[in-house]
Amino acid sequence: MDALIAQLQRQFRDYTISLYQQGFLDDQFTELKKLQDDGSPDFVAEVLTLFFEDCVKLISNMARALDKTTGAVDFSQVGASVHQLKGSSSSVGAKRVKALCVSFKEYCEAKNYEGCVRCLQQVDIEYKALKTKLQDMFNLEKQIIQAGGIVPQVDIN
Amino acid sequence: MTVEQNFEALDQFPVGMRVLAVDDDQTCLKILETLLRHCQYHVTTTNQAQKALELLRENKNKFDLVISDVDMPDMDGFKLLELVGLEMDLPVIMLSAHSDPKYVMKGVTHGACDYLLKPVRIEELKNIWQHVVRSRFDKNRGSNNNGDKRDGSGNEGVGNSDQNNGRANRKRKDQYNEDDDEEKDDNDDSSAQKKQRVVWTVELHKKFVAAVNQLGYEKAMPKKILDLMNVEKLTRENVASHLQKFRLYLKRISGVANQQAIMANSDLHFLQMSSSLNGLDGFHHRSVPVGSGQFHGGAPAMRSFPPNGIIGRLNTPSGIGVRNLSSPPAGMFLQNQTDLGKFHHVSSLPLNHSDGGNILQGLALPLEFDQLQTNNNNNNIRNMNNNKSIAGSSMAFPSFSTQQNSIIGAPNNNLVVLEGHPQSSPPGFPGLQINKRLEHWSNAVSSSTLPPPAQNSNSINRQFDVSSLPQSRPDTLEWNNVSSSYSIPFCDSATTLSPPPALDTTNPRAFCRNMDFDSNTNAQPGGFYDTLQTRQSGNYGPTTDAMLSSNPKEGFVVGQHKLQSGGFMSAEAGSLDDIVNSTMKQEQSQGDLSGGDLGYGGFSSLRTCI
Repeated sequence: MDALIAQLQRQFRDYTISLYQQGFLDDQFTELKKLQDDGSPDFVAEVLTLFFEDCVKLISNMARALDKTTGAVDFSQVGASVHQLKGSSSSVGAKRVKALCVSFKEYCEAKNYEGCVRCLQQVDIEYKALKTKLQDMFNLEKQIIQAGGIVPQVDIN
Repeated sequence: MTVEQNFEALDQFPVGMRVLAVDDDQTCLKILETLLRHCQYHVTTTNQAQKALELLRENKNKFDLVISDVDMPDMDGFKLLELVGLEMDLPVIMLSAHSDPKYVMKGVTHGACDYLLKPVRIEELKNIWQHVVRSRFDKNRGSNNNGDKRDGSGNEGVGNSDQNNGRANRKRKDQYNEDDDEEKDDNDDSSAQKKQRVVWTVELHKKFVAAVNQLGYEKAMPKKILDLMNVEKLTRENVASHLQKFRLYLKRISGVANQQAIMANSDLHFLQMSSSLNGLDGFHHRSVPVGSGQFHGGAPAMRSFPPNGIIGRLNTPSGIGVRNLSSPPAGMFLQNQTDLGKFHHVSSLPLNHSDGGNILQGLALPLEFDQLQTNNNNNNIRNMNNNKSIAGSSMAFPSFSTQQNSIIGAPNNNLVVLEGHPQSSPPGFPGLQINKRLEHWSNAVSSSTLPPPAQNSNSINRQFDVSSLPQSRPDTLEWNNVSSSYSIPFCDSATTLSPPPALDTTNPRAFCRNMDFDSNTNAQPGGFYDTLQTRQSGNYGPTTDAMLSSNPKEGFVVGQHKLQSGGFMSAEAGSLDDIVNSTMKQEQSQGDLSGGDLGYGGFSSLRTCI
């Protein structure tokens, strides 16, 4: 069992580091992990759940605002949603999503419809990609725990 | 909090400091809450500004500090900032993802005591308690007529003073208590009677003003004033502190156009105002219970006070809506001898409840008032309207000077003598902030009755937009309505909305909880997401696809549910349960169950007690 645990832990560590290296996560995520303790053992998962919910909601808002069939496009509304997404993505450490929001915001301010639509698509893809990755990470954690091990602290430099 | 809890909190400050966190973004709110908890603060959260205001109004002493996001759908964060400052005089920290300096400036001008950028780090939050301390410190400093005791000193017999007495987070209560004690020392009459306070009645104040005028504002010294006034049992200290308050008051209103009116009615107005005189440098002192233009008849002065609290925010003491001073000075001042704590904010509230319109008005005041009567010596209260109060209650004076001190120093220490008409609504005081520019005004003031100085004219002048006052409240109410429409459940209309992109075929529910999606339902009239889908499949390698299919990741997708509708109150466990339930149902309908992945059980821990 120890070998299994060790292996899982290694996998977990490697996977986590890869997420940082690939730019999915940044320091803020590390901070979040630090806040997780015995008092709130699922803190990170909870926060991320909320975050992904927000993504869904905000993206739908943006989509609606960018929907030309309902009339003129309200870029300020899109911008407001982007701004909020930027805030929450930066708070959870969703690095790529946040970066996208930055350029998305610029397109909104420039009232560049195509640019906005493109960004919206990308944001959608990105957050889902992140969700997948994190899901896998959480699964690894679960496996480690189920195998009787503890989830290692991963040191990102 | 129980008394024991209070003690604990007090003794361990900043541990247990009570923070109210407001942010419409649930992710950020959750993180903020956790960060604050890790700093060992006592946290209450809400995602609606309106709700936050209600909580604050419900009990002004319930919180020490407010942290609020800037962009919120139901109310602009800056507006909340102003209102909180005006009504409750609590330090407010703004939080935003906007790093643009103009937002920071806006925060400053609206009176925020700090501005933090998202993402917030715990290091930043670890020091926010300084704002609470600073606020109290400033108030203390402003009221050092009788010495410099900053510690909550003995509470002999002062009602709940034991509870109130304490440390930084007991601000005004401390102020009052310690001044209380000092006052006792200073006055023979007081001897064991902490209830003695100088009641600055209209008559008394008139004498005071007359004396000041006679001497000349700049030359007015307490001793001389005292002599001129020739009032028995009035001490030099009483006069000194009253003078100090008066000066501050004049400086504040010196920016007002109606200064003549002020001077003419200064006795009334001043008395009304003085209960919320701020400390000399409390830059975020906002004791004005403005609340909005709901001050009516009894408090016209308040009515004229603009809702924007810019007055309070800009360190310009002016902004006291000095308009119809003709109306009686609503008994703003509560002679709070015993349970001062109760009156802190209360007294800043209009005492007039008959109106009912204003929450502030209808608030605890009547209760407080009753308590006053029952708890206190009652002399002062009953003598409020009584000209004889001066002579009649020998106890009044000594204690009052204490109040004076505390009032001057502690803007929210609305313990000033109740003046006259308790039933009329005392105009709250605009959160007056004395700033360095007072010098200008004191010069201006001294040169004439009250020449309207032009300094800080921008905001000051704006303040007196009466018309804006009455709207402030209704506006916020409307915002509530707006907020619910703001967060529209995603799929309220399949036709108009770009349909949820079924990016991953096994998770069509990703975007719409109402739709009954299965992997084949990709109804996309708009075609908007077709490209998304195409692209998506191109971006993910085989591994990812496999993962997609095996992990519906429902944990992350909870649909829109209640979280979107109206306010997401952290305390509403019910809504989250619903979400969980409905999500579970969806999962079942999809044939998948993945609630465990993200620790659904953890949701229960998300609730926060308010």
